[in-house]
Order: sequence, then C-alpha cells, then structure tokens
Amino acid sequence: MKLKYNPRQRWLVGSVLLSTLYLPSAVAEVKLNGFASIRGTSVSSDGGLPPYPGYEEGELSFKSESLFAIQASADLSEGLSATVQLFGEGVNDFEVDARWAYFSYQLNDSHRVSAGRFANPIFHQSEYEKVGYAHNYTRLPKAVYIGFDFSTVEGIALDSQFNIGDYNLQTKALFGSWSGESFSAVTNNFVDFGLDNIMSANATFAGDWWQLFGGIFAAKVDGAIIDSTTVFPLAAGGIALASANGATAAQVNEFRQRLSWDEKDAFYWFSGFAVDHSNWLVDFEYVSYEVADSTDALNNSWFLALGRRFDNVVVTVHTEDYSQDKDFGFLNGVSHPILLATGRGIHTAFGQREFDGMGLTVRYDFHPSAAFKADYFKGTDTRSTVGDYQMFSFGIDLVF
Amino acid sequence: MKNRILVLTTLLGTLSSPLLFAEVAVIVHPSNNNALDAATIAKIYLGREKSFADGQSVVPMSMVETAPSSASFNEVVLKKSASQLKAYWSKLVFTGKGTPPKELATEEEMLKLVASNPSLIGFVDASKVDASVKVAFKF
Repeated sequence: MKLKYNPRQRWLVGSVLLSTLYLPSAVAEVKLNGFASIRGTSVSSDGGLPPYPGYEEGELSFKSESLFAIQASADLSEGLSATVQLFGEGVNDFEVDARWAYFSYQLNDSHRVSAGRFANPIFHQSEYEKVGYAHNYTRLPKAVYIGFDFSTVEGIALDSQFNIGDYNLQTKALFGSWSGESFSAVTNNFVDFGLDNIMSANATFAGDWWQLFGGIFAAKVDGAIIDSTTVFPLAAGGIALASANGATAAQVNEFRQRLSWDEKDAFYWFSGFAVDHSNWLVDFEYVSYEVADSTDALNNSWFLALGRRFDNVVVTVHTEDYSQDKDFGFLNGVSHPILLATGRGIHTAFGQREFDGMGLTVRYDFHPSAAFKADYFKGTDTRSTVGDYQMFSFGIDLVF
Repeated sequence: MKNRILVLTTLLGTLSSPLLFAEVAVIVHPSNNNALDAATIAKIYLGREKSFADGQSVVPMSMVETAPSSASFNEVVLKKSASQLKAYWSKLVFTGKGTPPKELATEEEMLKLVASNPSLIGFVDASKVDASVKVAFKF
C-alpha cells in the first residue's frame, strides 16, 4: 500500500502522535500494544503479482509476508482517547507508516465515535486482517481478502454495541475518503486512484457460539488517472479505427463516458457466518463488488473454512473462489460496431482474471503471546503468467 | 520406561486438569447489590456489558495470566483458553473497539481495589476473600 500524505493528513497524524506519545503521564495513561508476523513463504509459480506479491519462484522468502506494528493509545479521560499505529511490512521494505491515527470519544455505554485515519471495514475481517494472531489462517483467504489498497481511510466512524437478551449486536457506520495507488490486474501496474464520499455500514449479530454478519460500502470513484493511463489507452486503437469508419465525435465521447471509471459509483457488500462450537469452527463469507456502469466486471468471491481445535492446536481447511461476471450492459446504446467490439474487448480484459484454491493451515499456540502457523495452499489463476501454483509457508504470529 | 510414561502422563494430567482448580470467587464492592450470574460476568469481562443492572458503570479487573484463579476463570466463566482470549482481544485492541481488563499481580491488590471502588469487579481464590468485599458469584 502506498499512501500519499496531503497537508490535512500530515496534520492529523502529527496531532494524534503528539497526543499519544508526548502527553505527560500525569495527564494520560498511554498503553503500548503491538503485533508482528515473521513468516517464510515459498511459491511454485513466479506470478509474483498481487494478491501474492514479492515472491520468487521456488525461493523461500522471509520478506513477503512478514510485518510488525506498534500501537500507542492514550486515555485522555472522560471517554476521550487518541490512538496511533505505526506499521511496516516486508513487501514495502518495512517502510514505517502511520496506519492508524485517530481520536475516539465514548458517547455512552453503547456508542463510540472516532475521527481520523483508521481501518476501512471493507469486509467482515478487514479491520484486523494484518493481525495474524487474531485468526487461525496464515493469511485470510485471498479470494475475499485480496489486499485492497484502500484498507485505510480518513473519516469519521460510529461504533455501536447492543445487548439483546442473550445476543449481541455490533454495528459500524463510517463516512470517509481515500487516495493512493491501486493495483490494476489488466496492466499489472499500480495507478493513482481515489475513493470519495465513502459511506459504509455493517452489523454483526452474535450468540455464544455463532455470528451472522453483513455490510455494504459505497463510494464515488476518483479515477481520472486510471482512465487516462489504463482504460482510454486500451480503447485508443478501437476509437481510431471507428473514427476512420464513420464514428462521429459525439459517438466517441459517449463511448468514452461509458468506459470511464471517474465519478462512477463503487459498491461493495459482504455477508456470512461463523461458528465456534464444541471445538469445531466454520467460517463462510461471500462478497460482491464493482465499479458500476464501467468496464469493471462484477466480482463475486467467497471462502468456506472448516476447523477443529485440539487443545492448543487448530487445524483448518478452506476453499476459496474469486470470479468475475462479465456483463456488457454498460455498453447499451453504443451503436457503432467497432466501438461496441472495443468496449466488449476491454470489459473482457478487466474480467479475465479469476482464481480459486484450497488450503490447509495448522496453528499451534506454543506461547501465551505467540502462535506458530504452517500452511499449504494449492491454487489456479487464469492469468497465464501464474497458472497452477502451490504455496508453502511457516512462521510465527505475535501480539504484545 | 513404563514408569517414565506413567510419571509423564500423570504430570501432564495434573497440569492440565481443571478438577484441580481452586474455588474462585467473583467479588464486588460491599455496597453492590446487583445479582450476577456467569453469563453476565462473561459479558462484562468480554467488553460487551459496560454497566451493572442498576446502571452503575462497571470496570472489570483480571489477575495475571499465570495466576491459577485466572486460568479457572477463563475456562469456567469465559469458556476460552488464554490463547483464545488473547486472540479475541487482539481483534478489539487493534481495531480500537475495546481494551482487555487490567491485570493485577496479586490477590491482595485485587481485594484492596475492589473494596475501595463500587465500579470494580474482580476475582480471587475463594480462600482469600475477606469482609472488605462482597462475593457476587462463586464456582
């Protein structure tokens, strides 16, 4: 993830940092926590591309999936707190970034409002995706947790919690924005990208041994750069050919508008359940997302996991699937046959990449603050540079 | 060889057996008249309940992980191992949704704090309870 800091963001990170780290201890109690993963990973295919970046075929790398974070949280009393999380991961050369920087205010027993930079709850486990100790996987299934670049947003959020009889309901509502770089599977490059007016809401309803959850987030795409560097260049040849064959300027402009991402609406939603009963564990999550009315294809992904806890060992098998549904409806009204064919071709390129696979993970809690994990994953990716591949990894997840 | 296996299995059984847990008392301030059951106590210690039934805010206090009463409390009341509990709190701590109960090193400290603050709830080995606190639940 590459974040760009504008002056407003610098001020935010700086003020939260000052609040958490430099307040005299008489004024605020500062808690330090952290997490880390040290993992060796080997992959049989050198696709080397997201969602498995930084690997070399056949080599064991301790860099690609290792990370660390230190979090300082200052209780400023009367329900107010300031939190900053410094985070670095091997895939970015352990470059340290202020991943979280926010103030929180506990309004009452049920509601807490936060403002600043924090996790984007894209899907159910997105907020703690990087905290390996918190879950039983080596990495959360990539078909769903594909590593979105907009995993951190700036904005305001309301976390709420309600007890309903023996059950518990947790909800979150968020408004924010994000700007940075995002990976394009079409060109295998990172391009400038942004999301404005992010509105997100999710809920988890839980009993003692089960959880049902769901959520949605919508945003306006700031995609002028992805349009000019990826979408329109792909269409340039087709547009030139169409223009030479009678396409009018109005037809071309209309066509470009259909293809573009800028100012279009992006929608993401998720739903699923989790069970932890008699040492049997089941996780299921289904997600769907797209940039509506653009060349982007509708993404439908899911994973299903079955686990068994044996004292301090958890064995988990899971299957995952990432697919894209191509729909040429966004080209309705484009009448020139060459423009139509060009649009269909681009949409097909955007929707060509799919993958699935199965994995086995063993977690062993050998220490009160550390878990050893080993996993094997076998997958297939439709990109010809990746194809069939196997991964093996082992490592330690820590919290402190 | 057989003896060694016997000693080892006995030792393992002794270390892991919940039957050997000492009786644990959940304690509150003497002025606290709220009825508490295991389910409510679990909600308080998992950060899902922030007040007693009478509206008084509640602040849970734990013993250090190595205390025998802590292991017993986690298993019987929270129904989680220490690792499961740590994973549970990891999700909350690193998403800003909650902080685990403060851990105290000694039961004397626990008794002293609970006796002096009506918002606190704690637990100690039942044999350590004195008149300065009220036992709200025992197992």
